[in-house]
Amino acid sequence: MRRILNFPALILSISVGCCLSPSAQAQGDAELHFCLHGEPKTFNPILVDDEASENVRYLTGGVLIRVNRKTQALEPALAESWQFSRDGRKITFHLRKGVYFSDGTPFSSEDVAYTMRLLMDPQTHSATGDAFRSGDGTVEVQTPSPDVAVITFPALVAGAGRLFDQVAILSAKSPKKEMSVLGPYYVSEYKAGSYVLLRRNTNYWKHDSTGHALPYIETVKLDIQRNRDVELLRFRRGELQLINRLDAEQYDRLQKENLGAAKNAGTGLDGEEMWFNQVASSSLADYKKNWFHTTAFRQAVSMAINRADLARVVFSGFATPAYGPVSPSNHYWFNESLAAPKHDPQGALKLLSRSGFRLENGVLRDNSGHAVEFTVITNSGNTAREKMAALIQQDLSQVGISMKIVTLDFPSLIERITKTFDYDACILGLVNTDLDPNGQLTVWLSYGENHQWNPNQKTPATAWEAEIDKLMREQASNPDEKLRKAKFDRVQEIVSEQQPFIYLVNKNVLCAFSSDVIGASPVVLGPQAFWNIESLRLKPSREMGANK
Amino acid sequence: MAHWISKLGWKVIQLVALAILGALLCATMMRFAPGYGVDERELDSRYSQASRESIRSEHHISDGLFSYYGVYLKGLVRGNFGTSIFLQRPVGELLRERAPFTLRTVLFGLLTAWILATALSLLTVRFQSWALDYSATAVTGMLIALPAAVVALGCLYLRAPVFLGIAVVILPKLFRYQHNLFAHAHSQPFVLAARARGVSRNRILFRHVIPVAWHPLVALLGVSASMAFGAAIPLEAISDSPGVGQLAWQAALNRDLPLLTSITLLVTLLTVGVNVLTGSMREGQP
Amino acid sequence: MKARRALRVVCLGILIAIFTLGLLAGSITHYSYAFQFRELPNAAPSSLHLLGTDPLGRDLFTRVLYGTRISLLLAPAAALLATIIAAILGGIAGLRGGWLEKLILASADLSMSLPLLFVLIALRVWLPLDASPVLSAGATFLTLGILGWPASLRVVWATARNLRESDHILLARSLGYRNSQLLFGQIIPCLRPVFLAQFWVSIPLFILMEATLSMLGLGVLEPLPSWGNLLHGFEDFSAMAANPWRVAPLLVLVLTVICFQFIFPESEELA
Repeated sequence: MRRILNFPALILSISVGCCLSPSAQAQGDAELHFCLHGEPKTFNPILVDDEASENVRYLTGGVLIRVNRKTQALEPALAESWQFSRDGRKITFHLRKGVYFSDGTPFSSEDVAYTMRLLMDPQTHSATGDAFRSGDGTVEVQTPSPDVAVITFPALVAGAGRLFDQVAILSAKSPKKEMSVLGPYYVSEYKAGSYVLLRRNTNYWKHDSTGHALPYIETVKLDIQRNRDVELLRFRRGELQLINRLDAEQYDRLQKENLGAAKNAGTGLDGEEMWFNQVASSSLADYKKNWFHTTAFRQAVSMAINRADLARVVFSGFATPAYGPVSPSNHYWFNESLAAPKHDPQGALKLLSRSGFRLENGVLRDNSGHAVEFTVITNSGNTAREKMAALIQQDLSQVGISMKIVTLDFPSLIERITKTFDYDACILGLVNTDLDPNGQLTVWLSYGENHQWNPNQKTPATAWEAEIDKLMREQASNPDEKLRKAKFDRVQEIVSEQQPFIYLVNKNVLCAFSSDVIGASPVVLGPQAFWNIESLRLKPSREMGANK
Repeated sequence: MAHWISKLGWKVIQLVALAILGALLCATMMRFAPGYGVDERELDSRYSQASRESIRSEHHISDGLFSYYGVYLKGLVRGNFGTSIFLQRPVGELLRERAPFTLRTVLFGLLTAWILATALSLLTVRFQSWALDYSATAVTGMLIALPAAVVALGCLYLRAPVFLGIAVVILPKLFRYQHNLFAHAHSQPFVLAARARGVSRNRILFRHVIPVAWHPLVALLGVSASMAFGAAIPLEAISDSPGVGQLAWQAALNRDLPLLTSITLLVTLLTVGVNVLTGSMREGQP
Repeated sequence: MKARRALRVVCLGILIAIFTLGLLAGSITHYSYAFQFRELPNAAPSSLHLLGTDPLGRDLFTRVLYGTRISLLLAPAAALLATIIAAILGGIAGLRGGWLEKLILASADLSMSLPLLFVLIALRVWLPLDASPVLSAGATFLTLGILGWPASLRVVWATARNLRESDHILLARSLGYRNSQLLFGQIIPCLRPVFLAQFWVSIPLFILMEATLSMLGLGVLEPLPSWGNLLHGFEDFSAMAANPWRVAPLLVLVLTVICFQFIFPESEELA
């Protein structure tokens, strides 16, 4: 009966709410105000898989090990120290003593055990948890004392230390469940579609060098704002104190208007890439499949693309030509010995002619006489990608290749590249949140679902893909970091030779800070602008003065 | 009295039936739209095979359409609108949070647009001044040529509330219709006769022009309500206002079947409801 | 009256001029609408580039000219199609009444509530990926025309319904007019102001809808320009402020819309 009344009750409550809802909330003076670029889907740190939720998790979650976003090195956080067993499967954490959750519940190894059990529960389907799955079997957690937790994985998890940066510890006992946190802030208010308000966690364990409790800033207001132009407008108006990631054109303009507000953290980890559909069972014509399977064809296309122009024209110079899956900013994993591709249309034509292509009246034809034409798809609404596609279109026309551009809404695009394989080529971006290549296993393994050019292979279609499979599997389960690096360097070499992905650019990380913010120091690892939130300060007129 | 009640009841039943039909049609369209059942999370290389299967099952792509109809209707009877796949929250809760904002925005936008459009069109007809007429036409022509994105950003830039954006979007269309209706009524022979007999312009306007144009104007009310809801979607989406419009846009882009079906139900209920109301006003019956 | 006629002539002249410029784009400008002058992105107007260049260095004057063809040919065609469908259905609903009237009105109401976005997205699937940009643009505007009728249906219906009860129609019936005579001789002339109003209101609407659709990959495909995709970058106010010549497509659109409004005669001149 109650449920039957819910429908009219819904209509009634909407109508009443319509009349009684308060007007827009007044903005506080003593808070850091910036934007999330989407609605956070969850505040449960175990289930986080979108950027907005990840940002909230970073600001509220307490982790055992923190990756210092500036140095990219591991730092103790809730764990004062940790040791790996010889086989790398067992990690012993020595936890900080005297730490409490935001609601006063004491922190102990029991909370670590609870969190890991939830995380690794197969029914949870957590992206963070899946990153730890190194083999069949369960993860065991032992708690020999309140400040020691021992986690044993069924197989070695290479780079496990870094993965714990994503594991925010939940309280096993608190009635507030995931809303009781160990991070610098806790979620105080959430208005769906509007904002998330975070307040300073007075139980936060960290102090500065003078013993002052961190964080300094009392509240953080995160507005939900998808439109970047609106975000910039509000920043200019002084409503926001920082912008986490600016696009290049906005950065350029802001830099010209107000030196100091716009900050360039350098080449980021994210890249843009193009690939050809190499799925044998796709509905493409056989002659097209032949083109896309030919290494020389892909290499020639890569040579014909003017990456310097892409960086200069599309990103106003705030991007670097890319030629591998790893950005140069990923200091450890980047293979410095890789040669940069040259923009060489004549060289591209020579390469093509050796594979039976010929240029006739400005049109490139294969050895069967088919004019080389293909369509590239990309997601609509991403202006940078649309512009890159237009530039590449002109570059390829100089070698006689006709490229059409079709922009699709994202679900339609995903359907084509993952299910129907009804496309010729695709331009998309690569978002690298993890420095370690193990985060991209499903991309490099030929049977992986994200092996975009030819996913879910039963057996590797080519010898070079078989070699990549072998190298990735070997490095994934090897405790020797140097050996892992050597193997992944070889993977990068193969990719550079074979060009399954034609890497285009690595975009710079561009942020904006108002002059009210003290201590801003953007980095390339996310969250780029507020990674050091606990040590950021606002000028005295803005700050409430968190003296403790 | 009994006749009045049965007529009202019959209209309410028709209204609800139409709204449900709209919701089910929406579900059908989305079900067969390209990109249905795929999830952005499938591009996340961290997920295991089992997690990917679980993500796919959230979209119920293996469920038949009619079984979805059945589940949805059963839930509807119990007041359960389902759970949003994209936002992972009950749809009813999302609508309760967002709908008051949209309703307020649409109502104020409609009111503002009607007041301005009616005033402007009556003035142009009353004064029969070509300067006024051409100026009004030029201004409304400029407004009609503005993309919704520009209007929304204009509101943000000028710190104007979103309802003004809706008013700006609807005003030129309203003005043109009303102007033509009033002008047409003003050109009738009986108006000429009244003028010849010395009846004042104001009296002509209120006693002869407006009553003649009344019926089509009332029909316009229903259409303008639909236009206002239609305008609310891009305006809210672009200005990121916490209303149903923004929710609808996200639901459409993410193929969130439960959410968009319920939003369609609500919007159909409201727009058809307004049309039924205006129809009744014309008939002088409930 | 004379002033009005003079203004109408001027506006008609402007529209013809804009349309002609679009048709003769190839003769007026020697640039290709797709060619990128990569050393000159966002260049200010100059003797080489009359309206400057866009962010990819493409000559904006050339793109506006070529864009005129697409928008001025296809948007009015879509508007005409939508108006005709609304006229037929609205007219039938208003004149016949009964269950047919209810069915047509319910269909219109439903159409306006449904997210017809999916029909447009589905169109993208049916069109082959290698369809030419012109074919894609044509298909888009055709779909807009077919789907764009509900907005004006109720107004047409209301007017038609009024006419059904009006004295002069009753008189005409009593004099033995056939239905076709009634329709073409009496009813359509009375409905003409409504049709005209809807028609001119729809034209810029369809141009603007095409701009929105461009963002979904359903509008006119790159590098073919249209007023819709030329307006695409308009959301960025600060970019517009920095490069004010990029307002040119909007000015052309506004001028065209205003001219459309002025060229149609006022209702008192129809009598």
